[in-house]
Amino acid sequence: MNPALARLLSHPAIWRGDDCAPEPASVATGFHDLDAALPGGGWPRGALTELLLEREGIGELRLTLPALARLQAEGRSIVWVTPPYRPYAPALAAAGLDPARLIIVHDCTKAEASWAYEQALRAPECGAAFAWMHTHDERVLRRLQMAAREGRTWGVLWRRPGQRASATAAPLRLALAPMQGRLAVRVLKRRGAELAAPIVLDLARAPGAPLYPLPDGVPFSRRTSTSVSQGRRHGARLAHRKAS
Amino acid sequence: MLWACLLLPSLPLDVFARALAPDSIGRPFVVASGGHYPRVVAANAGARAAGIRRDQLISAALALAPDVAMRDRDLAAEDAALAEVATALLAFTPNASLARPDAVLAEIEGSVRLFGGLQRLLPQLPAQARSRGYGAMLALAPTSTAALLLARAGHSLPVQDHAALPATLAPLSLALLDFDVDTLAGLKAAGITTFGAARGLPRAGLARRFGQSVVDTLDRALGLAPDPREPYVPPPHFERRLPLPSPVDSVEALGFGVNRLVNDFASWLLMRGLGAVRMSLSLVHERYVRERGTPPTVATFALGAPARAPAHLHAVLRERLARVALPAPVEAIVLTSDETAPLASRNLGLLPEDEAGTVVVPLVERLRSRLGDHAVATLAAQAEHRPEYAASETSPALSQRAPSRMRTAGAPARPSRSRNAKAATRNTKAPAVIGAPRPIWLLDEARPLGVVFEAKPWILRDGPERIESGWWDGRDCRRDYFVAETPQGEIVWIYRDHRYGTDDGEWFLHGVFA
Repeated sequence: MNPALARLLSHPAIWRGDDCAPEPASVATGFHDLDAALPGGGWPRGALTELLLEREGIGELRLTLPALARLQAEGRSIVWVTPPYRPYAPALAAAGLDPARLIIVHDCTKAEASWAYEQALRAPECGAAFAWMHTHDERVLRRLQMAAREGRTWGVLWRRPGQRASATAAPLRLALAPMQGRLAVRVLKRRGAELAAPIVLDLARAPGAPLYPLPDGVPFSRRTSTSVSQGRRHGARLAHRKAS
Repeated sequence: MLWACLLLPSLPLDVFARALAPDSIGRPFVVASGGHYPRVVAANAGARAAGIRRDQLISAALALAPDVAMRDRDLAAEDAALAEVATALLAFTPNASLARPDAVLAEIEGSVRLFGGLQRLLPQLPAQARSRGYGAMLALAPTSTAALLLARAGHSLPVQDHAALPATLAPLSLALLDFDVDTLAGLKAAGITTFGAARGLPRAGLARRFGQSVVDTLDRALGLAPDPREPYVPPPHFERRLPLPSPVDSVEALGFGVNRLVNDFASWLLMRGLGAVRMSLSLVHERYVRERGTPPTVATFALGAPARAPAHLHAVLRERLARVALPAPVEAIVLTSDETAPLASRNLGLLPEDEAGTVVVPLVERLRSRLGDHAVATLAAQAEHRPEYAASETSPALSQRAPSRMRTAGAPARPSRSRNAKAATRNTKAPAVIGAPRPIWLLDEARPLGVVFEAKPWILRDGPERIESGWWDGRDCRRDYFVAETPQGEIVWIYRDHRYGTDDGEWFLHGVFA
């Protein structure tokens, strides 16, 4: 292509149908394949992202940890509103996050959680705000999207796939599902052309992953004999040394 | 030397009236002296219109206006008010001093140029007092005694020249000077009522008849003798009480008074180069409720970072006050600073974009003031092998503030600062060395798995990791942890409990690798 034409086409005001719309600012996901599929080459800053999953524990947070670590390195704080379980500090620290700069809002009513999430999205010092809220209210969602744009915050709404049918204000919507020990990411909505095939990511090397994954696991039932002698005696050994 | 004197003529009234917005005090209001036969000390416009005058008996005032609101004179509050005005004047000069009972003096000669000339500076001084709700009159003279005298005489034309002083003071009444009653009576009996008349008498004779102090006072007023004043130094601890003219039973009506206190607090912080970290507001209830043992309603505030901008403090207090429930009407408000930290002034930006990064109220504070301290937390890792004790929740402000904490009356900040910072880094870094898998979600209580995996087999991905610890505190554990994959594809952290023997323990789910 003519370089002059290429330069003209890279202008942010021009969007071609087979391409992704340029995102004004984004933060790299840390996964090359996913970056290539997202407009702007990463998670959008200043917009809501909806992540849909059937159940927790399929590597959904591992997907976001590299970006969170990057945002923290920029000196911005992270807010999690009403997470479903207790976030575990040693795991977060091992994944490169500073647990002291992760603000957790819990113990509050639905309305308060919604207010807190909007405040977090709107706050300029907040880099990413995650919320586990099951709201269908379109007006609320649009309000949150506006807040994210205003505060230039990467907002993530964790939702169940059943809520997929409802309209959404979020410009990016991904469905996550496990696929033979890996994570399949399907792009349901993005500012760009439709993407049929899911992106399969291997999260085994991602920060926060269980270390030393065995290629072939041992199927077991309740009566499987498990012996310690072949495994690591981590705490026991250290505790012994401490006590002596 | 050039002394400005701010006289607060309606101080006994203003210490109460300032707690309410000016238009809400339409009804007659008087301040009474205490004792068996209380008299009117000061009356507002409404009371004067009803015919109430100074020194009237309260019974007479009640006869004139049955609906009059009444308060006993609060000398402590008047003193505090003087201190407050002096604190505000310290923004203009390093040398301000109190002239009890109702005036504040400030030496402003050195500041005239900085503030753009006398014409610009002078109106700002009474404005400081008026913005705080005190009526004020200003006088200017080369000596402090003369300034006080001119203010009391209502002579508001500034006198800048020593040479003009004798002529200006000559017609003023001697009663305006702080002479005792006997001296004044003696002077009056001798036909000496004005400053000029006393000044014209032979000094030696005057001193012999009425005491050396009379001659000294005249000399000080004219600048012939040194006139030292004790400079006012703001106290190291802020605690200010704002009495209300009448009991208030709604939180909204307190807003105006609280704003007054916050402004005082902000100027005190500015004078001492500090920022507020923790403060408390107590709402003192009416006497009959107090005597039944109801304690004052106390609201405490903690800020994420030291701050002293009045707008910031207002915003934090407003959010918190809205959640306060009043058990009884409130008679007075007290604002106390519990903890402060040094806060350097910030340079203003040259270009508009330099200002863009400034945050109005940090997010953590807004969240905490609305949702309560319990609802907002950050995490900290602990050096501990038992997974359930290896993490703790902390208050976000504490962890962010740790490096620069300092008590109000505290010692120098520097040594403790570096030690704290080091301790903080050590605490968070140390536990990260565990090289074994840890889940991002940890269940509050390990969930017994029972017969869950009888149906379809789970797959063990990693393990076992033996964790055996805690025999010393009675909460000992002996577990083999595994990373397992459920048939639905979730990666979980499970363990087999070996406390009561080996190989037949129960299985528990303890975490989720999200």
